[in-house]
Amino acid sequence: MAELQKDPMTRGDFLGFGVLGTIVGALLTIPPAAFILGPVIDVNVRGESDVPDDWFRAGHVSEVPPDEPKAFVVAFPLNQVYSERQVIEEGVDTQEQTLRNAIWTSWKDLKPPGFIAELGQNRTPGISREQVIEAQGALNVLSSSCAHLGCPVRWLVKEDGGEFLCPCHGGIYDINGAYVGGPPPRGMYRYTYEVREDGYIYVKHEFDVGGDKGSQKPFVI
Amino acid sequence: MYAPATGKQQPVEQEVITEENVFERPDETVAFFPKQVLYDLFISTLLLLAICALSYVSPAPLTEPADTATITYVPRPEWFFFFYEQMLMFFPGYALISFGAVVVPTVFVVLLFAVPWLDRGPRASSTRRPFATVIGLLVVVVVLLNMMMAVSRIINFPGQ
Amino acid sequence: MGAISKARSQAADAGKFVADWMEHRAGVITIMEHFLYEPVPKRGAWIYTLGSATLFLITLQFLTGILLLFYYVPTTDHAWNSIYYIMNEAYFGTLIRGIHYWSANFLLAVIGLHMAQVFFSGGYKAPRELNWIVGVVLLLLVVIIAFTGYALRWDQDGLWATVVGMKIGSYSPFVGAYTIQFLMGGDTIGPATLSRFFAIHVWLLPAALAPFIGIHLYLLRRHGVFGDEMEYRERMAKLQERQRLEEYEEYEDDGEPYVGRRDRADRD
Repeated sequence: MAELQKDPMTRGDFLGFGVLGTIVGALLTIPPAAFILGPVIDVNVRGESDVPDDWFRAGHVSEVPPDEPKAFVVAFPLNQVYSERQVIEEGVDTQEQTLRNAIWTSWKDLKPPGFIAELGQNRTPGISREQVIEAQGALNVLSSSCAHLGCPVRWLVKEDGGEFLCPCHGGIYDINGAYVGGPPPRGMYRYTYEVREDGYIYVKHEFDVGGDKGSQKPFVI
Repeated sequence: MYAPATGKQQPVEQEVITEENVFERPDETVAFFPKQVLYDLFISTLLLLAICALSYVSPAPLTEPADTATITYVPRPEWFFFFYEQMLMFFPGYALISFGAVVVPTVFVVLLFAVPWLDRGPRASSTRRPFATVIGLLVVVVVLLNMMMAVSRIINFPGQ
Repeated sequence: MGAISKARSQAADAGKFVADWMEHRAGVITIMEHFLYEPVPKRGAWIYTLGSATLFLITLQFLTGILLLFYYVPTTDHAWNSIYYIMNEAYFGTLIRGIHYWSANFLLAVIGLHMAQVFFSGGYKAPRELNWIVGVVLLLLVVIIAFTGYALRWDQDGLWATVVGMKIGSYSPFVGAYTIQFLMGGDTIGPATLSRFFAIHVWLLPAALAPFIGIHLYLLRRHGVFGDEMEYRERMAKLQERQRLEEYEEYEDDGEPYVGRRDRADRD
């Protein structure tokens, strides 16, 4: 192999490296970074969410049994990448994606309002304004995603009632979703919900963290 | 192509063995090809046969299609995450979860990177550096114990 | 001269011609000899098969991974179906995916053994520190590749492992939320998550893995393999004898400064 030849670097060479390096470096780092960080910018800078900030119908209050919780499945529309609303309108043969959440509902301390028993299975007449307020105050609308690491929480029937149990690491919650034991840092998350006069429970894809903290978007699902 | 490492240029007879270069050339050598290649090929063949057999005896799993709304599915990690998953059990509550899930593993990885500088003595044999050996064995024991605890927890879970 | 021996000598000539031609233009023979005739320790040859088994299993991963891409579709609508097709319809689909799955499992086990062997034999000691570091980087890459590959099935196992993984990530101090939003491609798990995990599992990390494997092998060849002190016991005996002699010499001509024992002074 030939001997190495080490020429000195002139001021012009140095300047050339600086200018060209900056141009190439900037073009090859900034657009790619923005390209892949897009969703983070959308969420944190523009305050956007993949799930629209709307009410979605979960189920009828009469479906919530008096003695145990009931899981409703809500399919939230998911505006993510090729499932964004504009892409679906203008794109080819597109199907809207949904994010399905299992939502645990129960009556607080298993004490349903009196009118629920009278309602029976009849869902047509709707309920009165007073009954709406009564039902709204008596409901638990809980996220099935464990507050520890997000596993699907199940209802475990026991002799003295029952408890919510997370199958992953054994987090335990009571009928109201309050923390009982295990590694979770808090009780089950509660959805922002409302009961309307048609007798149905409506939820938003956000958690009501209570007090002055207001609401927060769910992690992960 | 390769710049030879220090000491390798000298013929064996003239080389002065010091503590720095004692491990640069073994006592007895053998050419990489064919002996070593043959050994490697032997093990690789065994592995490939085992893998192909397992592919049919116990095919790669494909469970039910993804459903975020399930309330009956029990998530379980792959076996190589068992020890990590079990460790999370020991860190409950807000402050400790992030400590156990992220901080402890990060510190462990940093220590792993630092191993050559944490144990700088010239002794290579594990019997002559008991401290490093004991720490290493402890790590292995903790990982294996955690794995066993995870397995027993999973086996004993109701309704599995 | 018989016809067979004539053909044989002609074939030998042709082979030699091709070899010379390639050697002259690309130095192929020199490189091959350099790779194949490297002296390696005679004792402990079986220990070194741990490293080569790792390399073999990673090669299997690359091979079967490329093959699976011929049928796999990384969308939430089709991922599960395409794997179902591979497993039930494609010729040898069960085998190809089985090799990918099982060699991944073996890979993690063998890497663990390989690492333990290097640790307990002290193979990371100077001048081999850098190779240990590259090895830890390879370990991390393989673990992350294993994790991201899990999600690509888009079955219950893969989805929930991803949910739990993201939830764990959300507990990272300061950067938790941003990290998982970057990985999920939004604030929830969905089609973007699958696309991103696909990009990471199939392109980003394997592309990073390959050069690190190259560096790992280069450093291995540069400093030679190190399996155990057993391979060096004669050299160590020689070293100890020389050190003993020097100590004795110094004792003999007391007062004279002795310069030839720096390496010993370093140790003490």
